[in-house]
Amino acid sequence: MFRKNLVGWAFLVPLVAYLLLCYGYPLLTTVDLSIRDYTVRTFVHGGAQVIGLANYGDVFADPVFRTALLNTVVFTVASLVFQYGIGLALALFFSRRFRLSATLRALFLVPWLLPLIVSASTWAWMFNSEAGVVNAALAWFGLDGVNWLTSPDWSLVSVIVANTWIGIPFNLVVLYSGLRNIPAEVHEAAALDGASSWQAFRHVTFPMLRPVSAVTLLLGLVYTLKVFDIIWIMTRGGPGGSSTTLATWSYELGFGSMLPRFGPSSAVGNVLILMAVVAGLVYVRSQRHREAS
Amino acid sequence: MKRSTFGRRVTVALVTAGLSLTACSSAGDTAGGTAAPFAVWDPYPQFDASSEWVKVIEKCGTEAGVAVERQAYDTSDLTNKVLLAAQQGTAPNVLVVDNPVVSTLAEGGVLKANQDTGLDASQASPNLVAAGEVDGKAYGVPIGANTLALYYNKAVLAQAGVDPASLTDWASLDAALAKVVGAGKKGITFSAIGTEEGSFQFLPWFWGAGAQLTDLSSTQAVAAVELWKSWLDKRYAPNSVVGNTQTTSWQEFATGEYAFAENGTWQLGNAAKLGFEHGVIPIPSRDGGVAPGPTGGEFVTVPVQGAADREATAAKIAGCLTDADTVAATDSALTYVSAIPSVQEQQVAERPELKVWVDAVQAAKGRTGDGRGTRYPRISQPLWTAVQAVLTGSKPAAEALKDAQTAAASAK
Amino acid sequence: MTRSWWHTAVGLLLTAVMLFPVYWMVNVSLTPPGDMRKSPPDLFPGNPTFEGYARVLDEQLPYFGTSLLVALGTVVLTLALAAPAAYSLAKLRPRGRGPLTFVLLVAQMIPGIIMALGLYGIYVKLGITNTVWGLVFADSTIAVPFAVLILTSFMASVPDEVVQAARIDGAGAFRTFWSVVLPASCNGVVTAGLFAFLWAWSDFVFAATLDSGGSMQPLTLGIYRYIGNNNQEWNAIMATAVVASVPATALLVLAQRFVAAGITSGAVKD
Repeated sequence: MFRKNLVGWAFLVPLVAYLLLCYGYPLLTTVDLSIRDYTVRTFVHGGAQVIGLANYGDVFADPVFRTALLNTVVFTVASLVFQYGIGLALALFFSRRFRLSATLRALFLVPWLLPLIVSASTWAWMFNSEAGVVNAALAWFGLDGVNWLTSPDWSLVSVIVANTWIGIPFNLVVLYSGLRNIPAEVHEAAALDGASSWQAFRHVTFPMLRPVSAVTLLLGLVYTLKVFDIIWIMTRGGPGGSSTTLATWSYELGFGSMLPRFGPSSAVGNVLILMAVVAGLVYVRSQRHREAS
Repeated sequence: MKRSTFGRRVTVALVTAGLSLTACSSAGDTAGGTAAPFAVWDPYPQFDASSEWVKVIEKCGTEAGVAVERQAYDTSDLTNKVLLAAQQGTAPNVLVVDNPVVSTLAEGGVLKANQDTGLDASQASPNLVAAGEVDGKAYGVPIGANTLALYYNKAVLAQAGVDPASLTDWASLDAALAKVVGAGKKGITFSAIGTEEGSFQFLPWFWGAGAQLTDLSSTQAVAAVELWKSWLDKRYAPNSVVGNTQTTSWQEFATGEYAFAENGTWQLGNAAKLGFEHGVIPIPSRDGGVAPGPTGGEFVTVPVQGAADREATAAKIAGCLTDADTVAATDSALTYVSAIPSVQEQQVAERPELKVWVDAVQAAKGRTGDGRGTRYPRISQPLWTAVQAVLTGSKPAAEALKDAQTAAASAK
Repeated sequence: MTRSWWHTAVGLLLTAVMLFPVYWMVNVSLTPPGDMRKSPPDLFPGNPTFEGYARVLDEQLPYFGTSLLVALGTVVLTLALAAPAAYSLAKLRPRGRGPLTFVLLVAQMIPGIIMALGLYGIYVKLGITNTVWGLVFADSTIAVPFAVLILTSFMASVPDEVVQAARIDGAGAFRTFWSVVLPASCNGVVTAGLFAFLWAWSDFVFAATLDSGGSMQPLTLGIYRYIGNNNQEWNAIMATAVVASVPATALLVLAQRFVAAGITSGAVKD
């Protein structure tokens, strides 16, 4: 038993060393940054006073914090719901065999392959108030143009649309192969019992898809929580903070102005990591529940 | 070809990493031996290794008798990069940096004062050098200067019956915009993005109303924001200004639809490529006369190295880069107005259309002047936030600026 | 069979809607700068210009090469770290592996920008900013936790009897891993490798913070040059984007089957 553990850890050593070096040390740095009162001078020459959690206090007291937190939640939840919902609908659609279905399904993956900076720029250009194609389309239907990126009411919607678009392919691929793994006999049995296709979906397909759905949503959460490039390129979190999330706020504090505020910036970053830990715990618990039941 | 460069890079990197690891304890204080090349950092990524600017750097290195290695960063990244590098004791030897950052870096002890390195800024105009002064000491030398003015489309103004020479105050500008829009064209485009660029573009109107950066909530400041807001409300300006960078704003002007664009000296090169006739007028102040614009442009500075001889050599390179003989070529490549009055005259003699820009630069104010120095970044951010809040209709002007003043006064 | 045609029609429509932004990217890449801000915009590039593509071929090829090196390097590093670890977690199951899995899960959620600040300090200290392999290390932080998790659930699905049989034949732990478990989880390896490649290929945050100064810069920075500088040249940006998505697309088309199989079997067995 002891020997088995030893061999097991021998295989894990490179990974653990890597995690300590590439995650542990940088994270220690941000914790250290977040509990000190940095000025430019003390940042460069050292000797910044440890002020405990004062940076966190400042961050929580800042009115931007509430907006950023709310936006983070709305952005994450809305992106997940739409990515998953549309992805599932498409997966069901493509699971029927029809001419060109394989080709079209492959084409759906293209958005996934574009570098985020490219997708974000493309959407920003399409959403442009003056020369964007979206407003041109609205005008064609006789509707007024919307200031997608420059109105505080729409900026968050715009970045959610773009992020959903980017996330659909992933959801489609995973859910599609999840559907394919459900044995055909199950459907046939349901059909023999006279279930409508909606009933079959609701009572047979969807429950059987649950493990795949859980992983899809978890991975979706993982990547949505840390989305930064899309929002930064499309709106810079603006106008007036209306599309700021914790990730963009952390960046803005640290890098967005001429005078970086590394302390509060790291504090916001650590709050985000804390949220990740909580999400991880929730997932692990739900996983245990399932195994227990 | 590609592969061999890569191989070399990796080897060099491995060796450097290995050396710095083994030599950890003694690193930093051993400047002797085969001297490392002099690192020059600048915010001009648009210039590649074959550009005139890089040749000038190499020439100045050769004159100082050392090898130079130049790296270009995006302006917005440069400050952070320098701070982090300085923290690790690996600041560049010569740093070319945006002028409002100079006082911050100087106060942070990152830069050497000119008097300690022998760098001489006396050739440059005092109003430009002022941006780099902290506690009576000058840091660095301006490489050139730029500021803002109004570009106009001649055809659009002619069609609307507007004489550009008559636009000397806000009322006449407003009337001109009404005429232009009445004639079916678009009015004015500018940049009110939520970054330093937004504040930069707003300052001529802010100062032109008589407001001061020490009081963001003054009635003059309110008047300036309300002027911009009224333009959006009356569709004189497009809503996209809220997200426009100065670059995207320029592209709107380049469509030929707009009568005016507020933009900078650096667009002169692009202006020559416009498909229509254009002119430039100074930005008018509220009650007449030229509004002071903010000075833009970079300083060549010498960061602290802890080795006096290397700092002195760096100062020689910095002096060479800003010398009257070499700087003219650099400024024309950047389309900047020179910081040196004699070179300015030479520029105007060669290109008369630069006259209006030289005048504007001479009237311009540094953002970090008036002894505010390092406070400016803490004032600028609430200011652009307030401008955005007003333009998007989230807050009335007076309230937004009052909040901005509170934030600026309390920010650390 | 008539219903099948109806499905194809709907499928085509949906694909068209989904791919419209991609089409738009191509359209813009061909639009001459003068027509760029026309309102309403042209739906087809009436008089296409290939200026953008000419510039890409002229200016972006070095960036292209760097991106390829970085992406391939990231794949190798990621798999080298993740595969043995996954084997251990799936088959050797040493004590104390639970917390490690949890750490990996959380590590995946940490935004790159937060990592970048910490990494920059280390990189400057070691003098490895602006190097290809420095960027490879940074990019691998996006992919390693994911690769370990995916490969673990994949290797777990290799029947224990097979592993046992190898043992009885006298194979040590490493032989078993290298000759039995690893080949049996080929789909998982392809999936993890593909993701590592795609993430490294499209990474911008690490490139901008850790590799924006030297001569070896990746493609995303090449694109950013066009966005960030004094002129936003949309046809050059989009032309680069079109070119940039070619290798990724080719790779995905080739590996699609493995990927789908990889993710779901991972998910189902979890």
